[in-house]
Amino acid sequence: MTGSAWIVQNLRAVRGRAYPRVLGAQREPSWIFFDVALPLLTVAAYIYMYKFMDAPKEFVGFVILGGAMTAFWLNILWSMASQFYWEKETGNLSLFLIAPVSRMSILGGMAVGGLFFTTLRASATLVIGIVVFGVTLSLSSPLMLIAIFLVTMVSLYGMGMMFASLYLLFGREAYNMSNLMTEPIYLASGFYFPVKALGYWAAAGASIIPITLGLDGLRQLFYPESSAQYGFLPVGTELVILVGLSVLFLILSKVSLDYMENLGKTTGRLTLRWQ
Amino acid sequence: MAVRSDLRTFKNAAWLGWQMEANWTDPFLFVIYSIIKPIAGTLILVFMYLVITSGATNTLFFSYMYVGNAFYMYVADVLFGVTWVIHDDREHYMTLKQVYIAPISFYMYIFGRAAIRIAITSMGVFLTLLFGVLVLGVDINLAAVDWPLLALALVLGLACLCIMGLALGGISFLTAKHGQGINEGVAGVFYVLAGVIFPITILPGWAQTVSRLLPVTYWMEAVRRGLEPAVMAGLPGSTGLQSLSNLQLMLALLVSTVAFLFISLGIFKYADKVARRKGKIDWTTTY
Amino acid sequence: MEPAVETKKLTRVFNPKKKKEGASVRALNSVDLKIEKGELFGLLGPNGAGKTTLLKILSTLLLPTSGKAYVSGLDVEKDYVEVRKRINMVSGGEISGYGLLTVRENLWMFSQFYGIKSSIALERIDDMLGKFGMLDKKSEKVRTLSTGQRQKMNVIRGFVTDPQILFLDEPTLGLDVNASRTIRDFILDWVRKSERDKTVLLTTHYMAEADQLCDRVAIIDDGRILACDSPENLKKLVKSETTLRLDVTTMKDQRVLGTIPGVEKFTSTDDLENNITSLRFVLGDESAISDIVSGVAKGGSKILALRKTEPTLEDVFIKLVGKGFE
Repeated sequence: MTGSAWIVQNLRAVRGRAYPRVLGAQREPSWIFFDVALPLLTVAAYIYMYKFMDAPKEFVGFVILGGAMTAFWLNILWSMASQFYWEKETGNLSLFLIAPVSRMSILGGMAVGGLFFTTLRASATLVIGIVVFGVTLSLSSPLMLIAIFLVTMVSLYGMGMMFASLYLLFGREAYNMSNLMTEPIYLASGFYFPVKALGYWAAAGASIIPITLGLDGLRQLFYPESSAQYGFLPVGTELVILVGLSVLFLILSKVSLDYMENLGKTTGRLTLRWQ
Repeated sequence: MAVRSDLRTFKNAAWLGWQMEANWTDPFLFVIYSIIKPIAGTLILVFMYLVITSGATNTLFFSYMYVGNAFYMYVADVLFGVTWVIHDDREHYMTLKQVYIAPISFYMYIFGRAAIRIAITSMGVFLTLLFGVLVLGVDINLAAVDWPLLALALVLGLACLCIMGLALGGISFLTAKHGQGINEGVAGVFYVLAGVIFPITILPGWAQTVSRLLPVTYWMEAVRRGLEPAVMAGLPGSTGLQSLSNLQLMLALLVSTVAFLFISLGIFKYADKVARRKGKIDWTTTY
Repeated sequence: MEPAVETKKLTRVFNPKKKKEGASVRALNSVDLKIEKGELFGLLGPNGAGKTTLLKILSTLLLPTSGKAYVSGLDVEKDYVEVRKRINMVSGGEISGYGLLTVRENLWMFSQFYGIKSSIALERIDDMLGKFGMLDKKSEKVRTLSTGQRQKMNVIRGFVTDPQILFLDEPTLGLDVNASRTIRDFILDWVRKSERDKTVLLTTHYMAEADQLCDRVAIIDDGRILACDSPENLKKLVKSETTLRLDVTTMKDQRVLGTIPGVEKFTSTDDLENNITSLRFVLGDESAISDIVSGVAKGGSKILALRKTEPTLEDVFIKLVGKGFE
């Protein structure tokens, strides 16, 4: 098979796996209510708390941005990391594994479909939040904004792809892992307050989660005037680190996928359900 | 006979719930897991508070917020637990249909599963409060605690949460995989409107009216009055319910709980009927 | 010409290091098998015999503990990428796919994992849906299908990618007669029309299915291949013997029957509802019949029916293993 034929074959696999995700958003429209309107309430609670404490006005925007980004983190945990485990439980995993395409294409399809769906949800949260709470955002560096967002997503979904393989090894613990990585990551990545507040070393450690620097970068770009006070690292530095994380996680996801597959084939665990 | 059968269902459901919640790992890891989650959730608020106030946690508002957030864990966990029962049994273990057609009380099955959630959450609430008192200087004086009020408020409040969970469980029959967001969302409604981390007086007028219709608002006030009477007496400004006496407060909690009992039963029965009509009891919706 | 499938001393042990009794399971024990191109080959054995384990190894999902397995001359352990281009697998009772996709979308999605151009895939899907009488279901969501319809869809999924070798693991498990027949007819037609280009390895515990469909059948039990030949030749294994069926009133103590000279093997099944015990004998010597009749009477039972039968694969299995499938 030629290189281009191989690429076309794998792109088809990406499209195939992304399809149900994209379609799911259309066929089950109840997500609009659950995934957009309701999470805004948590955001609203934090905004009112900041208001009660007379916080500077940019904190309203900080919380809305963080609230929108929770959509991506939840998608990573519940629809990327846990997905192979779910696929195993429903019997799809063995069919993916015997297919003559790279497993990365199937994970990639899940990521692309999930990213599409989640961007819709996050955008809706952002727009409604901005309108309801009358937030003004600066758009002085649109290209940098797009770059930070895209690189954050690539590294974040790369991390999700890595988790997908690792979660398979955890078996039934996968659900608990996802549960455990919700609030602690909201805390560590500064979803609702500038991550700088955690202190330099804690924030630096939390930066292994791509959303930490991605969110910090977006906040700095949307509120350039308070960047010096609340920003963790210069935006350019954050972009370079995020590019590094993207490469790292994509490589690690391939390595962990190969490891998981080999281990699964050796022990027979890949096709056993209800473990 | 029926009572015996219900009790057995409750006990078995609680046992099953415990197995599902805890037997995935060894007890030590389970305890760590049970501690990290609530403490992390609480620390988010602590850092939000610190980044604005740049320091002191020994204020009355901090204690007010901290205790409210700790008890809110019950709201989130019980509501989440009940809807998750439906989702997990249906789509993952695919046992919902077997339980559903068994000659047992489905309510008792759900309550049994919820009971174990409450037990596990209680550990989280206790440890969070302990962490607050020991590390952050949260103002709880055991000698000053109004124990009868606290105990009564806890019993009524938890019953109320289970009742509301039932309605959400019914709705889960009808919603797809992502419908688990329902608990996140409804719990979010209470987080904003029930005076959990700030007094309801900061909300717009219409929202305060809605707040006063929610049992959780009265529950939060009652629990705080029981656990930290000094904080509630000294808090500057109004919590929005200060004009109510303890008796009036408990009465409001009772009345709104009973009202929700009827509403929840109605929703559950309606959802159950629709689910059977549309064949949704045993569907799978993953994508 | 290389065989479609070949195994050499193929062994698979689950949990080999566990010392506790019963924890370590030898699912396959030194299996030697050769399946030629164009064959419809059956693997017949009871539950837990090792059939699915063998299929998992051949379909690259599981590694052997020792021994070798080749598909189209390719080592499944080393050349698994190439093997996957040539195979597909369908299991009975599987619930693959996504409930909210339609039948056509679901099949299309799986075809994409094989890099098939959409227009070609959709053409094949429509064609096969027609052959399976499912065309009117193509726009139905998968979660609304009946068990039989769902399994037909699964089988189509296996054929849509046009594999050289198709592994079918109990493809008609739990299906009604009509659905089973449609699937069997399609499999047979697919192999026969391919002019020895396509191969099917089918596992089943339905004797009639193996008998009707397969060019050759391997009988497997406890991880070992006990015999491998065409159904006709296998049946010849018991041709020299007499096979006898008896229906008697419930017979509790059957020990005496096993001691009768001339009885090579026998099995029994109880129909408690109707108070009947069905006995099946493989006899080396027909003179044993009268002893059996008196043995039944001694056991306190009455004979309800007695007939000599043509040997079936079940008789072969009984002769080889000493027990029935049930």
